[in-house]
Amino acid sequence: MRTTTILALLLVAAASTGHAQETAQEIIDHVDRIMRGESSHGTATMEVVTENWERRMSMEVWSLGTEYSLIRITAPKKEQGTATLKAGDEIWNYLPRVDRTIKIPASMMMGAWMGSHFTNDDLVKESRLIEDYDIDISFDGARDGVTVWELTLTPKPEAAVVWGRIEYQVRQDDWMPTWARYYDEDDDLVRTMTFTDFRTLGGRLVPAVMDVRPEDKPGERTTVRYESLEFDVGMGESFFSLRALRSGGR
Amino acid sequence: MRAGPWWTIGWRNLGRNRRRTLITMGGLAFGYLAVVLLVAWMEGLTAEMIESATRTLTGQLQIHDDEYRPERKIYDTIGGRDGADVAALLRSVDADPVVAGAAPRVYAGGLVSSGAATTAGMLMGIDPAREVHVSNILNAVVEGHPPRAESHDIVIGLEMARQLGVGVGEELILVVPAADGSMGNDLYTVSGIFHSGLAELDAVYAIMSLPALQSLLALDPGRVHEIAASINDPWLAPAAADRIGTQLGATARGIEVEPWTRLRPEMLDYAQLVQAWNGVIIFIVFAIAIFGVANTMLMATFERRREIAVMLALGTTPFAVVRSILAEALSLGAISIGIGVVLTTPLFLWFYHAPPNLSWLYGDFTMLGALIRPVLRVEWNPTVWVWSGVALLLTALVAALYPAARAARIPPADTLSGL
Repeated sequence: MRTTTILALLLVAAASTGHAQETAQEIIDHVDRIMRGESSHGTATMEVVTENWERRMSMEVWSLGTEYSLIRITAPKKEQGTATLKAGDEIWNYLPRVDRTIKIPASMMMGAWMGSHFTNDDLVKESRLIEDYDIDISFDGARDGVTVWELTLTPKPEAAVVWGRIEYQVRQDDWMPTWARYYDEDDDLVRTMTFTDFRTLGGRLVPAVMDVRPEDKPGERTTVRYESLEFDVGMGESFFSLRALRSGGR
Repeated sequence: MRAGPWWTIGWRNLGRNRRRTLITMGGLAFGYLAVVLLVAWMEGLTAEMIESATRTLTGQLQIHDDEYRPERKIYDTIGGRDGADVAALLRSVDADPVVAGAAPRVYAGGLVSSGAATTAGMLMGIDPAREVHVSNILNAVVEGHPPRAESHDIVIGLEMARQLGVGVGEELILVVPAADGSMGNDLYTVSGIFHSGLAELDAVYAIMSLPALQSLLALDPGRVHEIAASINDPWLAPAAADRIGTQLGATARGIEVEPWTRLRPEMLDYAQLVQAWNGVIIFIVFAIAIFGVANTMLMATFERRREIAVMLALGTTPFAVVRSILAEALSLGAISIGIGVVLTTPLFLWFYHAPPNLSWLYGDFTMLGALIRPVLRVEWNPTVWVWSGVALLLTALVAALYPAARAARIPPADTLSGL
């Protein structure tokens, strides 16, 4: 009798954790895919504010699944044509001024991408959250009158990631992310990403503005604003080739 | 001044058993030689390390904006965002009496790519004509030639050339985050390859002309990160740094003038540690010698038991006996110093003028990030010669104290009656 009760309890416990785990994974997977779809094409502007300078860049972005993306700078003139190709774990830059393509070495993956507060590593790793992290729902309820989930992402032991922990907040009614906080291995907050301006682009509800603020440089930020976005535009993997990187993505 | 009979007695006693005296003196003289040469070698090694570390690239003193170190941001040029009159600064530094040369430098971290391979590099912009008077880096060019002024020449280390698979005459792409936030990028030609022997330098540094790097970084010509200066005797650098600092009004202008002792404190610590070691070496060598001398003196006084008893019986005070034995020991020490100096001088001169090169035994090695040649180089330090002599005399004196005290207590009647 007693054994049966314990067994039953264990089963219930196992079932409920299993369920929660799946939901947490689903939420992050959904967040990952919001901006991508099967394939996507869009235009955006990036504004970078640092202690030393401020600049704006316009760019055109293509992506296929989570493995491929191509970003091409369209303005200002000095950087026009500069492009970044992400294919799997690799990042390549095309420099129109010298008409050369270079691969970013592993040692520079933590370097800034185009002078912004994003790193090259962000381009590679951002799409892999569900593979590299164990995800738990750490909060489920109302914050400032909005029902949200807060998720804690802890790196899997074997995952080669730079963060010690990531916290995500996602709205329950439309599964839109509102912020993400990145902590280092000493559990200190390194940067905060905020998602705002939720609107329908290309037939989907997306956060059109994404803002990154590094914790150690107060006043600095990078803001990416999507102006247009279309989904499932039907590109193949061949579109994301070094040849395409040089030729302008057309 | 009259020496007194006790000195005469002590001095003459040295001649009683000449062979024994000579052997003891030989021991002390060899101790002197060992101490002087060991200390000179250790100081030679330290000097070699300091010279190598400062001459390879650092220089003996450097001038920066006081915000520049330790983060080394490209924005923190001398004189801040507005830059400075670099030519005037160089003139002021050159004017200091001990400065042998001064050179401006610009630094930036970036990507160095051959197209097929890419690596992270430390780009350094220099004035080739001035740089040769400050550091040895351009002398380390083993293939091709140093970057020409106002050119797109670039010189990289041997290890970087290997990693990138490029040779002289081939093309390199540089990509750097520029001071205006853009991605500076351009093509350069490898004009030379250097081999400093320091792994970090050979794998990471890429050297080009100052204006070429400034234009890549979108920095004005008046903006440099560093002025490095060379001073022939590294130990004069701290005083020179203070002098130049005052002369430039450095503090008020937000400039710092730092000698190598502050740029590389670990090296100064090491030099001071070596100095402390010198004392330890002197102590150990002479502590061993004390027992040898004490043994000789005990033997000598034991042999002269009856003679000392007669002296005491005739009214000599025990203190006078002690004095005669101490005089004997001091004479022994003094002659030993003479022999020691005579033995040490030719050896020292040989090591000083033609230090034996041990590279057949093992190649160059690095220590605290400095490349060191395996040569038995010695440093001339008169203080060590003097102090070793003083230590030797003290050794002889201390070693004689116990035998002298025993001699003074010899009972005259018992000894003379043959007991």
